[in-house]
Amino acid sequence: MSLLFKRTFPFSRLQVVPNVTILKRFNSGYLDSDSSVLAKKESKNEVVETAPEKTQIITADIISGAPTELRYRTVRIYKPTKTAMQSGEHNTKHWRIDFDILEGGGRWENPLMGWASSSDYMQALRIKFKSKEDAIYFAEKQGWDYYVQDHIEPKFHKKVYADNFKYSPGKLRIIKTK
Amino acid sequence: MSALAYRTTISPSLNEARKRVLQLYRDWQRAAPKVVSGYLLDIPVSAVRAKIREEFEKNRDVDDLHVIDILIFKGRAEYQETVNIWKMDTHIMNYFSKEESPPKPRSFLENFYEGRD
Repeated sequence: MSLLFKRTFPFSRLQVVPNVTILKRFNSGYLDSDSSVLAKKESKNEVVETAPEKTQIITADIISGAPTELRYRTVRIYKPTKTAMQSGEHNTKHWRIDFDILEGGGRWENPLMGWASSSDYMQALRIKFKSKEDAIYFAEKQGWDYYVQDHIEPKFHKKVYADNFKYSPGKLRIIKTK
Repeated sequence: MSALAYRTTISPSLNEARKRVLQLYRDWQRAAPKVVSGYLLDIPVSAVRAKIREEFEKNRDVDDLHVIDILIFKGRAEYQETVNIWKMDTHIMNYFSKEESPPKPRSFLENFYEGRD
């Protein structure tokens, strides 16, 4: 879908280069909660643009030839977390879109063999994006409902071995003797 | 050049685009009997005509010139492939899947025979 979109509208990227216009162009839910960012950007640029009206037709949606059922699906935009079992962080650098599970059907257990089956062709789809804005723009363009799961950047704590021997007034955190 | 191939064009105005859409629509409607006889379809010509109308009506509200141009292009490609019998009859019947599909299984046994939801 995205390939076709890029081929048919190679110029459409240019329209949204300034970040502020993306934010203003679509009145996304996520922006309402994040209005401080928007305000900051406006004051820095000192340009107040009038928000163009939201267009009724979402073009990529029409042209791509995707099934109309997809318009009523909700997608999740999120940044994957690091797996707890490994220390590698490579998979946490991008944003992803995936589809919510279909409510009321779409999955069933095969009555004879007990295999898990699904008629949801979007269940295995995951799309990668460099930033949250890219993902939101894509979802808007496709006409999908979406929600953004905010990402909390994990804090880096410097660990010092000597801290193990510091005085602590209350109960000891670690008992070091056996 | 293959039969019924059209040069892709960029419409200068909405009026021009409208003309092209109407031309495409007329071509489609004229080809309806040919589609039915060519693919040996078991449906009346009127149903095909109604389906053509339905497909055009889907995009009635599009007012972006670029989008209209692409839709015209896709319509032309579809027309060429259909009328030249480059498709199989299942491709045509796919448009009628909503009307032609069997009813959903209801009872436990029907579900079982179907093997799915």
